[in-house]
Amino acid sequence: MSKVVKAKYTAEAVAGFTHRTAMEEAARCLLCHDAPCSQGCPAGTDPAKFIRSIRFRNVKGAAETIRENNILGGSCARVCPYDRLCEEACSRCGIDKPIQIGKLQRYAIEQEKVFKMKILKAPAKKKAAKVACVGAGPASLAAAAELAKAGYRVTIFEREEKAGGVLTYGIVPSRLPQAVVDHDIAQVKGLGVKFEFGKEVKAADLEEYDAVFVGTGLWGANLPKIEGIELAGVYSAVDFLKAARTQKNAFDPGKKVLVVGGGDVAVDCAVTAKLLGAEDVKIVYRRTLEEAPGNMTEFQYALTLGIGITTGMAPAAIKGADKVEAVEFKGFRDEAAQLVLSADTIVFATGQTAEDQTAVAPVKVADKGLIKAPKGKAGGKFFAAGDIVNGGKTVVEAVAAGKEAADAMIAYLEKKGVK
Amino acid sequence: MAIKKDLSVNYLGVKCQNPFFLSSSPVGGNYDMVRKCYETGWAGCFFKTVGIFVADECSPRFDQTNKEGLPWLGFKNMEQISDKPTEQNFEYIYRLVRDYPEHVTVATIMGSSEEEWKQLAKMCDEAGVPLIEGNFSCPQMTSHDMGSDVGTNNELVEKYARAVTSVTDIPFIAKMTPNCKNMEEHARAAIKGGAAAVSAINTIKSITNLDFENMTAMPVVNGKSSISGYSGAAVKPIALRFCTQVQQDEEIHKLVKEKGFDFGYGHEMSGIGGIETWRDAAEFLAVGCRTVQVTTAIMQYGYRIVEDMISGLSHFMDERGFDNLDQFIGCALPNIIPAEELNRDFRLLPKFDDKKCVGCGRCYVSCYDAAHQAIDWNEKKRRPELNDNCVGCHLCLNVCPVQGCITPGEIQWKEGREPVDVKFKKEYI
Repeated sequence: MSKVVKAKYTAEAVAGFTHRTAMEEAARCLLCHDAPCSQGCPAGTDPAKFIRSIRFRNVKGAAETIRENNILGGSCARVCPYDRLCEEACSRCGIDKPIQIGKLQRYAIEQEKVFKMKILKAPAKKKAAKVACVGAGPASLAAAAELAKAGYRVTIFEREEKAGGVLTYGIVPSRLPQAVVDHDIAQVKGLGVKFEFGKEVKAADLEEYDAVFVGTGLWGANLPKIEGIELAGVYSAVDFLKAARTQKNAFDPGKKVLVVGGGDVAVDCAVTAKLLGAEDVKIVYRRTLEEAPGNMTEFQYALTLGIGITTGMAPAAIKGADKVEAVEFKGFRDEAAQLVLSADTIVFATGQTAEDQTAVAPVKVADKGLIKAPKGKAGGKFFAAGDIVNGGKTVVEAVAAGKEAADAMIAYLEKKGVK
Repeated sequence: MAIKKDLSVNYLGVKCQNPFFLSSSPVGGNYDMVRKCYETGWAGCFFKTVGIFVADECSPRFDQTNKEGLPWLGFKNMEQISDKPTEQNFEYIYRLVRDYPEHVTVATIMGSSEEEWKQLAKMCDEAGVPLIEGNFSCPQMTSHDMGSDVGTNNELVEKYARAVTSVTDIPFIAKMTPNCKNMEEHARAAIKGGAAAVSAINTIKSITNLDFENMTAMPVVNGKSSISGYSGAAVKPIALRFCTQVQQDEEIHKLVKEKGFDFGYGHEMSGIGGIETWRDAAEFLAVGCRTVQVTTAIMQYGYRIVEDMISGLSHFMDERGFDNLDQFIGCALPNIIPAEELNRDFRLLPKFDDKKCVGCGRCYVSCYDAAHQAIDWNEKKRRPELNDNCVGCHLCLNVCPVQGCITPGEIQWKEGREPVDVKFKKEYI
């Protein structure tokens, strides 16, 4: 019998580096010329530079490189799919295995906190233009930070009580502790960015602003139209993860939990259920594991917790009197395949949908309600980026897109002559 | 079956099971420690230096240097000679000699006057040790009448060696300090005074690290620190240099013969300095040392390292077809020659294996910034390309992180020079 990992919901699953182990890992780095890892980061975090700083005993310099390039450096260090970004590009793969870039980034940002560093500073003299960001998720935070660094006065509107978006209300805290998210957000606040929480923005609220960034993300549930979808015990991933993160250990996920989906969000839901006390948790994905968009290391972590993974089956009907009792699955490609599983809870981690963005701002909306914003430009004084534009990708890509949109906003404001 | 080879050596007329000894230091400071080291496989022990002077030590007293996360590259200690009463030390030594006749318990002594040296030598005689070592080399004594201050003064070295050998017939080994201009003259002085041989090196005067909390060196003793001895892997190159120079000194071999201490091997050096593995030990043997002594690696890893020294050296001998160590000892000495005698007629160009190359570009960076801009960087392929500027310095080969990627290639003769058969190293690991 395999040894199954027992963990706490709020405890970080992976231990970080100490100074010594960080140095050992940094010593493995080949210190490449024109390093492929740095080319592999969408947000331009520049791992080659910060690893070299760690190697040459300049951890504060390492933290500066990360923070200056990636305002969410702490969070990205935890949730980035390194194995298909910088670590995949690592030259050391040609010898044995890549440098653990994510863990080194985490170490540097942890030291930033230890040394109480305040790396980013906004100019004392503010520009006249006022900028609003709608939503306090990764794209908005990245855009706001860039704008504040350039001297603009930025206000972020957020309908929830806390900033962070998916970082705060989505991802399981064992993968991304709230303290890490809060530390990243404190850097944005430190730049003088104002936050207005509990505020559902309407177009009229944005009139006084010279430029507006829309980074509202995807928060609409994507539930299939199948029998029993209205029963108690049926959750969208968004609602399930948010309930867990806000109620923490008070949240009862049910004893038998099924999670439908094949992405990192599906794994987060399954891990959340398991860590909050569910006895039997299974991930059911309609395609093969090879086709699954989720990170393999996350699936592996789920397995170490004793979570089962079943592929090739899609949900067909949910059975129960007034709450979920069982779920019927049919083969997605295999017509002969049939499966019935008893369950208290079924979570659909099958993607999120856009809410009505035209209610927020006069933006052009494309398929599935996504905002059309090439290079961040959504028309006139409106800009957008992140999941609401790209349909739901990684945090680091949202940061990259938020930075790009901020550059477009600065160019727009300068051209318009708002000083 | 584990390999068994005859590793025994005759050292100054004393039969040793193998060439591996503890050097005079905290690793061999009482009966139980030495008992354990013998049971682990060490042939002998140079017991922690005994004096009439009993050391009063500071705390803490150690520091270490490291590089890229690799600890104990070098090690600094501020300990002096034994802090136990002289009589107690000789009682340990006596019992060790009595209880372990197959092992070689050497008494290492240090006096601060002729009288003290004589007194200590007599005590060695009474304890029945087969060999005596005189410590002329500890660089951190609290008295200038002892240690490396004595070891760099030929008159004192000769005088104290004579004092010892005037009261005992036990062969006397003078332990030399590297804190000198050249060791040979001090070694000659010791042998003139009656020493049968020298051992080297003791530790190098050092400051390993500065502590910015207290603005002093390491280790910090009540806010202050002192210069003291450096040892460990970092000093091996320096130790090998001294051992080679002593063993290449014809005068020393001649003096030994004249004094009647030639047991058939000329001057019998005992090599010390940064030995951790069988390979390090074999290097000292190759430059003519008959025994080797170890402390720092034991401080880091314990006595058990001798197991792999014995096994590793046995496998090496087996590979090379040596039946005993005498076939091997000193065989590198003729090939270490003055720089002016090296053949300078050719360039040995590096060869790049594009399939093994991982495209890190380290060879390009080092060649450009520190050598001859002889490597062009193919950005598209991420591969180095050698151009005509190459002088064959092999900096690229030394920085390449991939085993077997950059190797010696073509031999290019300088214009007008006569081609000859060139011997070069082919295997780098």
